[in-house]
Parts: sequence; structure tokens; C-alpha cells
Amino acid sequence: MERSYLGTWLALPVVGAVTALCIAPLAILLVYSFFQVNFVFILKDPTLENYARLAASDTYRNLITKAFVSGGLVAAITAVIGHPIAYHIAKRVTHYKSALLILLLVPLYTGDLVRIFAWRVLLGAEGVLNSFLIWAGVITEPIGALLFSSLATHIVLTYNFLPFMVLGLWLAYESLDDRLVEAASDLGAGRVSSFLRITFPLTLPGLIAGGMMVFVMVVGDYLTPQLVGGVSGITIVSAINDLFGTAFDWPLGSAIAWTMLAILCLFFTLAALVISRSTWGRALMGGE
Amino acid sequence: MVNRIRRRTILKTAAAGAALGMFAPFKRAIAANDLVWMTWENLAKDEYLAAFLEKSDVSITKNFIGTDDEQFAKLRAGGASSVDLITPGLDKVEFYVASNLLQPIDFDKVPNAALLYDTFKNTDLGKKDGKTYGVPFYWGINPIVYRADLMDSEPDWSVFFEGDKYAGKLAMRDYALEGIMIAAMYLGIPRDRMFHMDDAELAEVKKALKAQKKLLRTYWNSIGDLTNLFATGEIVCAFSWVPPYYDLRARGLNMGMAKPKAGVIGWCDTIAVPASVEGEMRDVVFDFVNYLLGPEYGEKLAFGGPYAQSTSAIRDKLPEEQREKIFIQDLSIMDSFVWKENPPRYNDWVALWNEVKAS
Repeated sequence: MERSYLGTWLALPVVGAVTALCIAPLAILLVYSFFQVNFVFILKDPTLENYARLAASDTYRNLITKAFVSGGLVAAITAVIGHPIAYHIAKRVTHYKSALLILLLVPLYTGDLVRIFAWRVLLGAEGVLNSFLIWAGVITEPIGALLFSSLATHIVLTYNFLPFMVLGLWLAYESLDDRLVEAASDLGAGRVSSFLRITFPLTLPGLIAGGMMVFVMVVGDYLTPQLVGGVSGITIVSAINDLFGTAFDWPLGSAIAWTMLAILCLFFTLAALVISRSTWGRALMGGE
Repeated sequence: MVNRIRRRTILKTAAAGAALGMFAPFKRAIAANDLVWMTWENLAKDEYLAAFLEKSDVSITKNFIGTDDEQFAKLRAGGASSVDLITPGLDKVEFYVASNLLQPIDFDKVPNAALLYDTFKNTDLGKKDGKTYGVPFYWGINPIVYRADLMDSEPDWSVFFEGDKYAGKLAMRDYALEGIMIAAMYLGIPRDRMFHMDDAELAEVKKALKAQKKLLRTYWNSIGDLTNLFATGEIVCAFSWVPPYYDLRARGLNMGMAKPKAGVIGWCDTIAVPASVEGEMRDVVFDFVNYLLGPEYGEKLAFGGPYAQSTSAIRDKLPEEQREKIFIQDLSIMDSFVWKENPPRYNDWVALWNEVKAS
């Protein structure tokens, strides 16, 4: 009789940890989003005022849109770059596979700040790239837009999060049955057709997993835009940070944070629905 | 063999854990001589504190902060009971007092406070109902720092708002309070109105800040990063703190420091004691506060910072050059500073600042 409860007892710490560390803080944040602030006092009369302020504010709405556009853009760029890299590691390399995977992950060991400052050395006015271009006679003045711009932000974000996309795709390529691609080729499919009809659908779970990781991390990153984005470096997360820290407006900060969370959940739910209703989605999940 | 988890075993473990937990309050009691100081890293160097530590059997645990706001958020979120001394800005003390986080300074235990400069004795900031909650500790100015080798003449605030000679070569601190104060000084808004601007004045400020954004290379967030921006030639001029001026001059760069006639932002940090500090630790803390306002610490700060203490404890013993460096040779200069205050509509200021940055 007692053995039947063993699983329940063992699950308790996990359930407790998830509740305490994940669900409870989010629930508290949600409750705060219905409060108001007056100087340093939180007024606990429930109101939708913060959500109304958010809806009426061009600034916050634009910043949220900017975050999602950046997330999508970087996810798309890493997907395009990541596919050939993942394919190469999974299918073309045998002896040095581990070495290549470690090489891919090495930048992650150095920490965000080191990588960001390394890019500043590369892209700065007196940086490696500008110095080389001036030396080569291609330009006479340094290209200012290489650093402290939206372009710089997206270059560094792509570099920072590419490994996560490659890892997702690499796992998908590892489980791809080569015989299917060979069969497609034998039946007359060209490389593009074979990729679009065999390889792409079968590696899609890896693309989705990698894409979701990259997307979420880009949306939540504020250090990179702050340090290389220049005057365009403000993000919705840094605005939330300002509200919690500088302005002591925890309720409005909570409302924006929860709106972001809700949009992300909606986004992923819609994506899951679209995937599950598509032919290849049903094939993936149902094994049809 | 199956290891069965019994309800009684779990209850016993939980009870043991709860019993151990009862001893938690004693942890602070046992460590009565360990003073936890929440402060800026540059104020708690070992050599600054050595004289105090030699004379007492107290140890000091340093809890470093990155911003004043972070310090307030930590205490407001319940961290006050784990700290014995904090370092809020003079303009921020009212936040802590309103939140009942501080206790009044016991001046009987802080004789060095009698040496406070008049400016700090007479200020209303840091006080409530006649009691002082944050005693001014050290102070300075935030000037314009520039590459004298790359600029034609000494700049004033207008360099951040007009012309395009230095467009893309300027930097501004990413901080709503100071950013808006500078725009107000540039626009000539009187000092007595600066922290009480109405909607029309704030609209003018916003317009000026949008014009400023077009001229900036970036907004800076840490003083180390700003120093780096000067050194790598990314910028030639910035609203700054003082340290990059001395650091980069020491490295051989021809740096300039400008104090615009329209006004220079003055700042002052205080030391304040959380309301929960009591008993033996309270005496230890006030003894330490007295040390921080005294000559030994003041001398270290004057040369190491270089920053000025809020008291005259070491002033007369410093060489003239050092007094000039930390702005205490002619004390009347303090009257020309625009001291930071907390605007009543600060949330609107932050929203405006974010609107400008997002525009």
C-alpha cells in the first residue's frame, strides 16, 4: 500500500520547488499588476489602470513590438546560418564531431560581457574591421554604424544565440534517416526539392526547439542592446527594469511583464495549433 | 531492497528542520561583531577601513550596490534586516524614511558630525520632523568631461543640444533624473522650478532631449564603460562623473573637465542606519559612522577617490592641490551646484526619459 504512494512523495519536492520558485513569483507579479503606486506606497485597491496605461502608451507598445520583431529576425537568421552548420556536424564529420561541438560551445563559456566587448573591439571606430578597411583603402573615415546601432545589436545577438539554434538542429539532423534523402534522390528529386520535402520537415522539431530558445532569449536580452545598440539600445526589458528600479512603479512593471508573458504564451499556443493542424505537424506528432 | 519513505520519517525530518530553523535568529546574534555595510565598491577599500578595524574587534562584510535604486529595491523587498548600514543618495533618503526603513542618527554617538560643512548641516534633505535619517557622507560633482585634444574649446551644456560638429561623438548617462536636469539647465529653467516642472516645461524638455538623441553616440551605464568609450575614441565629450578625467589623464590622454556656468550637478551620498539595527550592533554601527566622518577615512578618500568628505575633519591637513581637486579649497563653490533632489513627479520623468529613448 505504502509503495503506491512512493511516486507521490518523491514528486512532492519537485512540485514544491516549481510552485515556490516559478509559479508563486509569477502569481505575485500578476497580483501586483492590478495595484497602483503612490510615491513609495503600493495601493492595493485592484484596478486595471496599469493595463490601460500600457494600451494607451505608444512607447511601451512599440517596444514590445520591437522585441518580438528582433526575436523573430534573429531566430530566422540563426536558422539560415544554423542549418548548414548543423548538417555539416551531423552528417559530414565523424572524427572531429565532438571537437566541433565543443568549439561551437566555447564562446558560451566566456560569458555575455566578454563576448559583447570582443565585438566592440571588432566593430568600433578604432576597431579591427574599420582599421582594416581604412588600411585597405576601401574607406577613409571609420564607419560609425558598425557599432552602437541596431545593426550591431543584431549581429551580436545572432552570434550569441547561434549555438542554441545549431544544437537544436544538430540533434534533429542526427536522427534524420539518410536513406529517406537517398530514396528521394533516387526517385528524381533535386537537392532543393529533397531539402524542402524531406530534410526540412523532418528537422523541423529541431528548428522549432532552437527557434523558440533563440526567440525567447533575444526578447529577454537587454545587455546586448544596451552595450552595442547605442541610442537605439532601449528594450522593453530595460524599460521594465527602469520601472522596477528607478521609478519604483512595480505595478506598471508587473503589468508590462505579464503582458509580455501572455503574448509569448499566445504566440507559442498559436504556433502549436498551426503545427498540429498541418499535414507535416500531424505526421510528426502522430507518426502518420 | 526497497527504501520506503514513511510518513513518520518525513514528519521527523521536517520537525528536525523546523527545530534547526529556530536557531536562525541567533546567527545574527552570534555574528554581533560582523557589520554588514551596503555600499559602493570604491568606498569600502581595505586600506580605507584598516584604521577602524585595527582599533576594534569588529569585522565588516561589504555588500556592494550597482545603483541607488537597486539598494532601495533590496531594502524595500525585505532586505533591511540583513544589513547594518546603507549608503543612500541624499535625494533618496526620503524614500527610505517614508517606507519606515531607517532610524534617526544618534548624534551623541557621532561626534565627528559636528564638523559637517554648513551646506550639509543646513540642508532639509535627509531629514524629517527635525531628525536626521541620512547623514551626509561624501560628495562631488558630475561635470562634462571631454577630450581636449579633439575639441576646439571648452564645451557647455549646449554641445549636447545644438550644432552638428560633434554629432555622433557625444555620450549621456542613461539616467532620467540627471538627463532631465541637464535639459532644464540648458533651457534656462530656474533652479527653484527645476524639480517642479509643469506639463508645458516637461514638453519643452522632451523636445530638447529628442534633439539631443540625434547627436549622441550612446547612453552610458557604467563609469568603466564610459572611460572605455573615451579611450577607444568612440566619443569626445560626455556628461560624466569625475573619475574618467583623472584615469585618462594618468594614461596620457589630454582630457578636460568643464563646469558649465548654467549649473553643475552636485551629488551627495549619506550613511543611514536601518530601523532594525539595535543593541550592541547599534553602538558598533554608530562608532563606524563616526569613523567614516573622521580624518583617517577622509584622508584616504581624498587621495584614493579622489572625493571630498562631508566634514572638515581632514580639510586643513590636505595640500592645496588636493583641496582644489576635490572642490574644497573654496567652499563657496558648493553654492553654485545644483544639488540633486527627488522630483514629486519622478514617475513622469522616467516615462518621459523612456519615451525619448524609444523615439
